[in-house]
Amino acid sequence: MAICTVYTTQLNPTCSSISTPSKPQHLGFHQNQVVFYKKTSNYKRSKSAARPSYLITCAAAGGDSQTVVIGLAADSGCGKSTFMRRLTSVFGGAAEPPKGGNPDSNTLISDTTTVICLDDYHSLDRTGRKEKGVTALDPRANDFDLMYDQVKALKDGVAVDKPIYNHVTGLLDPPELIKPPKILVIEGLHPMYDSRVRDLLDFSIYLDISNEVKFAWKIQRDMAERGHSLESIKASIEARKPDFDAYIDPQKQYADAVIEVLPTQLIPDDNEGKVLRVKLIMKEGVEFFSPVYLFDEGSTISWIPCGRKLTCSYPGIKFTYGPDSYYGHEVSVLEMDGQFDRLDELIYVESHLSNISTKFYGEVTQQMLKHSDFPGSNNGTGLFQTIVGLKIRDLYEQITTSKTQTPAQATKA
Amino acid sequence: MATTMAGVNLSAPRIAAKSGVEPPKPHAFIRIQPWSFNKRLTHGRMMVVRPVMAAPDKLSDKVAESVKNAEDACSENPASGECVAAWDEVEELSAAASHARDKQKSSDALEEYCKDNPEADECRTYED
Repeated sequence: MAICTVYTTQLNPTCSSISTPSKPQHLGFHQNQVVFYKKTSNYKRSKSAARPSYLITCAAAGGDSQTVVIGLAADSGCGKSTFMRRLTSVFGGAAEPPKGGNPDSNTLISDTTTVICLDDYHSLDRTGRKEKGVTALDPRANDFDLMYDQVKALKDGVAVDKPIYNHVTGLLDPPELIKPPKILVIEGLHPMYDSRVRDLLDFSIYLDISNEVKFAWKIQRDMAERGHSLESIKASIEARKPDFDAYIDPQKQYADAVIEVLPTQLIPDDNEGKVLRVKLIMKEGVEFFSPVYLFDEGSTISWIPCGRKLTCSYPGIKFTYGPDSYYGHEVSVLEMDGQFDRLDELIYVESHLSNISTKFYGEVTQQMLKHSDFPGSNNGTGLFQTIVGLKIRDLYEQITTSKTQTPAQATKA
Repeated sequence: MATTMAGVNLSAPRIAAKSGVEPPKPHAFIRIQPWSFNKRLTHGRMMVVRPVMAAPDKLSDKVAESVKNAEDACSENPASGECVAAWDEVEELSAAASHARDKQKSSDALEEYCKDNPEADECRTYED
């Protein structure tokens, strides 16, 4: 379907793309070729090779469709994968690794959505980082030029050959072909770090896990692992913290939605990190995104659903909602403290929330039940992740609808 | 099997996102087993600890080795880039091991079977 032309012209050192719109051959499709020139000096495997390597990608992209790009930022071990599974589930169809590809690929593909992991844009592999004494959190370990070029290309409907960072070996594997999907999710440590990449995002989410909860989650994740101890888990979090604070945390100011996970306030001095208080911070004035609200939009509300109509067990459930300011932006904040013990509690809560972009009554509950084995299905993390998934579906539908109505205007947006 | 909780039966036409790639199924029934719902959703408080399978051996070895390396690297100078990078490697490998465990779990035939047949004898779980 695509006609590929390999260009051997001299390209500038970072990246060039050559677009050659040819005569429409297949129902108005355009033929685009993009050639990425990539510095490979940082690649362990090509150290000895003096010649630069060229990545050549050819793709036929539908001229009438544009990819909607979503960014998800969070530290490692903070629930990005769970969120991705919830999000792709909202769109229907299971997300799976590319068939017949590298078994260590970090990509997930479903009918509508492709999720790529930004670790694939590491410019330094594990050995390189060790030699230079930098973490993966450090921008110097990441190739933002290539990240920008490839996300831009995908957004414009052009397939790319994306590198694969192998988390098992710590090496960069040969690239995989990524075709422009309807929805592209870029998840990782730095989706909002580089302003050029940030400007490509139609919507962005930051998962903000408080130190207490992060520690509790990593204990849960790693304690059974041989070689690990409480001390090693703590040491790892503390060693990474300066880079995390410098390069990852500041991205939350750019996010359209932040999911903040904190220890509960329902149990005094709770340090277990099992009962959680979760905030959904939603930016006002974002195109195609209208924040969820409780009872009365814009008012400040505190709500304990447990009472005569609904019985909850200890420590109960508490919601708060209201307008607030976040890094100088006007936001709406919805907070849930506590956890659901029974199905009717979840349904009761869902029926009292407004603007959740469901397509039928009980859709949030249905999604939560479908994945009741995922972490957080009984608390605010699962609830808000599901709601954000529904809001993204709504955003996607609005963007595609607005484009078909006013194509000229939509290109700008 | 078809027990519903408090008369709640979620049955709804599944609406696929605009794509229309997936033909909408007429009905998506969710059957709720009160006890299984309870168990799955409250593992926090009820302390149902799911068995943690060891990650594939190769990764487990790597995690253990990386922890040791980090401890060594930091014994000389805890503020050095070398020390920080070593602990970052520990995090990366621990996350990879955890993902590998999840992958293994989801490819477990018994788990899959029990998702569909939670009432079967072989799918029973017990609490101490």
